[in-house]
Amino acid sequence: MKSRFDVIVVGAGPAGSTAAYTLAKKGFDVLVVERGRSPGSKTLYGGRVYAKPLKEIYPEFEKKAPIERWVKKERMTFMAEGGSLTLEYSSKTSTSFTAYLSKLSEWMASQAEEAGAVIVTDVRVDSFLKEDGRITGVRAGQDEVRAGVVIDAEGVNRLLLERLGWVPKLEKSQVALGLKETYRLGSEKIEERLGLGKKEGMAWFMIGSATGNIPGGAFLYTYQNTVALGIVVFLHKAVEHAQQHIFEYLEELRLSPPFSNLLKDGVLVEYGAHLTPELGLKLKPPRLYGDGFLIVGDAAGLLLNLGYTVRGVDFAAYSGYLAAQAIEKAGGDYSARSLSIYEDMLEESFIMRELRRHVRVSKLMENERFFTTYPELAFALAHRLFEFEETSPTFLEAFRETTKGRVSKLRLLLDMLEVARGP
Amino acid sequence: MTIQQLKKLKVDEALNANVWDVDEEPHIKVDFSKCVECDTKPCVRLCPAGCFTLLDKEVLFSYEGCVECGTCRIVCPKDAVDWNYPLSGRGVQYRFG
Repeated sequence: MKSRFDVIVVGAGPAGSTAAYTLAKKGFDVLVVERGRSPGSKTLYGGRVYAKPLKEIYPEFEKKAPIERWVKKERMTFMAEGGSLTLEYSSKTSTSFTAYLSKLSEWMASQAEEAGAVIVTDVRVDSFLKEDGRITGVRAGQDEVRAGVVIDAEGVNRLLLERLGWVPKLEKSQVALGLKETYRLGSEKIEERLGLGKKEGMAWFMIGSATGNIPGGAFLYTYQNTVALGIVVFLHKAVEHAQQHIFEYLEELRLSPPFSNLLKDGVLVEYGAHLTPELGLKLKPPRLYGDGFLIVGDAAGLLLNLGYTVRGVDFAAYSGYLAAQAIEKAGGDYSARSLSIYEDMLEESFIMRELRRHVRVSKLMENERFFTTYPELAFALAHRLFEFEETSPTFLEAFRETTKGRVSKLRLLLDMLEVARGP
Repeated sequence: MTIQQLKKLKVDEALNANVWDVDEEPHIKVDFSKCVECDTKPCVRLCPAGCFTLLDKEVLFSYEGCVECGTCRIVCPKDAVDWNYPLSGRGVQYRFG
């Protein structure tokens, strides 16, 4: 193999492969180095991707990409010990789809390869090469490969950036831990049990006792033939609150009535876990560019959790796309000053606009009442309204009764105001 | 292949569903001398693959079921985990990630 390229990309996830694809199409000589056996073999996420940014990057994305189902139903469930309260949204249209990230990453890498990028798998990059104060390539074992510029798409565990001294060691308050079980059910059962049409998908979020009241949430996504059920917990909260092994919380969720019935006769085909940069801006390094390198995707902390939906893959891919454009604009001068254009482009893009617009959501998520008191309150209120014997309460009466002793009126008002202002 | 059971699975049973190519060498090394002084041992509850177990208050570690998430490195209060990814594409092989 050559020992010099125009660009080296570390990591063939959505961010890395999209950067490689975009650069290769522009005529750059690109090498992608992936630690897994194939692109996507080390990746894991919830299950849903917002389509628009990807359609902009990949022509014919909708036709060719491994899309499983278009999300036409959303559910939000407040879970309590005694039962649950669910809100369901149904639509004839859709802007997001479910996909296996393993397959989607593989597809993006194949696009990069077709465009002319070289993808090397089974190779773990150990460090950046640093010469005369700038990044000039990567080292893997004894091998060194050099490039004009390196794109860091190493993901949430930023070992390379930590070794470089660019970011401090990851802290538990910056990430969440996601666990996911995937069950094969067959498309007929999925569609029957969830009331979905062919190719129609569901994204389902749950909070409250779904995670044993550890702040975080749970999810269910439908693929063509499988269903993924998972929990996501803020890691620092899990350290504080977990009373049993974390996997047991996922199992308790799976065995709770709606899910155990839903998954009946399903076959477990995979169980995995991954960290996620939960509170986006908290994880973003102060600068996403340096002399000879750029940072994209999860490594850049580009993820938005709004509580009722999560965006990461489209942000990752689009940041790779912008990094590629920035490299073209830099015109061969890969100094930090010249590459800083990437951060400007990112600032002007929907990614940073979204992350900044919703910056308060992370403050909201520090408020444990949203994960414990309120889901329980929502259920208790519904319980009081629906399960009466002789006298049916008015809404106001039910509301007064259920809030009593759980939360003060002022506290409730302030929290609701907080929700209304953000996310 | 495990058909959905109406009892809690053990984490090992769930991990059995996965495709693996386990490395001969552990990619994570634990300095157990530091575990002796650790009161909380969050690794035992939080490693999603159950790689850390307790035997008579002593921490045992096995890397074989590791899903390479990085949780142990971050939750360890004693900085006892020397963490890395496996070499040569070894380890967990996600198909439905």
